[in-house]
Amino acid sequence: MPSNPLALIAEITHRCPLHCVYCSNPLQLAAANSELPTAEWRRVFAEAGALGVLHLHLTGGEPLARTDLEELVCAAREAGLYTNLITSALGLNRDRLARLVSGGLDHIQISFQDSQPDRADHIAGTESHLHKVELARWVREHKIAFTANLVVHRRNLNHLEEMLLFLEELRPDRIEVANTQYYGWALKNRHALMPTASQLENALRTLEATKIRLQGRIRIDSVLPDYYAQFPKACMGGWAQRMILITPSGQAWPCHAAGVIPGLAFANVRDNSLSAIWNDSPAFQKFRGESWMQEPCRTCEHRHEDFGGCRCQALLLIGDAAATDPVCSLSPRHEVVLQEIQGLEGQAPSPQLQNWTYRPNPSRTTL
Amino acid sequence: MPIADTAKPALATGCRWGGSQEQPVLLFPEGAIKVQATGLAILRLCDGQRTFSEIVDELHRTYPDALAERIRQEAGDFLDQLNAKRIVNL
Repeated sequence: MPSNPLALIAEITHRCPLHCVYCSNPLQLAAANSELPTAEWRRVFAEAGALGVLHLHLTGGEPLARTDLEELVCAAREAGLYTNLITSALGLNRDRLARLVSGGLDHIQISFQDSQPDRADHIAGTESHLHKVELARWVREHKIAFTANLVVHRRNLNHLEEMLLFLEELRPDRIEVANTQYYGWALKNRHALMPTASQLENALRTLEATKIRLQGRIRIDSVLPDYYAQFPKACMGGWAQRMILITPSGQAWPCHAAGVIPGLAFANVRDNSLSAIWNDSPAFQKFRGESWMQEPCRTCEHRHEDFGGCRCQALLLIGDAAATDPVCSLSPRHEVVLQEIQGLEGQAPSPQLQNWTYRPNPSRTTL
Repeated sequence: MPIADTAKPALATGCRWGGSQEQPVLLFPEGAIKVQATGLAILRLCDGQRTFSEIVDELHRTYPDALAERIRQEAGDFLDQLNAKRIVNL
């Protein structure tokens, strides 16, 4: 029997007022009329609490697009879950924030695209930045944890310091600097987003200096870009080891991108209990543990730390979900990653690069 | 950094207790810590009212066999680590 999951990621909707070019949602977005109803989510949260899950991450799309969000937060608190709302802040108002907090919201994580409104709006594909800043200022009126999240890439890394100063002014408890990870829409737009090696070197120096300056006031967490790493990330803490993700329509996935792997049959929480899915469903069993590994992972000394990296990335980049994540320097196919990062250095990041694809809104109904 | 005697440690905003009576867990954004008996004894006193020196005195009454200086050192290190993670405010 596997140990119990610790976190539940509830993608409660794919509807979103923003159209960020690095969105991690799948290319196949769930239609509004396929979304799980309130009562199903309530049951899922209760089951999660009973299963030993500690953290609930309410995400999307934009979770505030669901009018029952307050009710979902109350249900999560009743289930004993520590509840985090991952949001753009659009859809918030003062009363709604107060209701979410009194209902038991523990942590709000608001994402920002940039410090400069025109640049931020260009990434988000819609005029939104100034409004988001206004909404974010209300958070400090409440006693909940506040994380300001910033996604970084080639278009904005050159002014990281300015962006960190902007986030600091919002007085968060925590700043999360996340390098774009190349799945979903971000992979589609990778050519426009991949940072250069010298940008990353500068960014690391800026982050270190800022961590020291803000010590004890604001915690800074950063996610490094795995294309530049020597070894892959320990994706999700291992396949089906710690986390379970539920899609808007109720499918249970072991990670954000698992839907790209062909042949995986995903159970739906409408038909199965969370514990049955976690313990027995084929998709969760598929890459759990180490028996699926090929060389060089199978005998690698790092396999207990990085679990062979990311299954979805292996599939997306080299077409084999059971292969060593090609970002690993030991992967026999590592050249596919090197090709993406070599030769970037000379290319100036033109602020108005038009050849990218904005993430659309899902259709209202399934056709 | 040594903690000032006058500091009044408290759980940071957004940190709270979860888990069960037998195994309390300290929950915070993106993480959780299982807290053992001594850690629990320290954190129960971190209510934002008591000063660090009062906390050390109370711990000394609970653990009379331990040296006060040792208690000060260990409780200080423990709280300092949690402060760096923004779990405890000093």
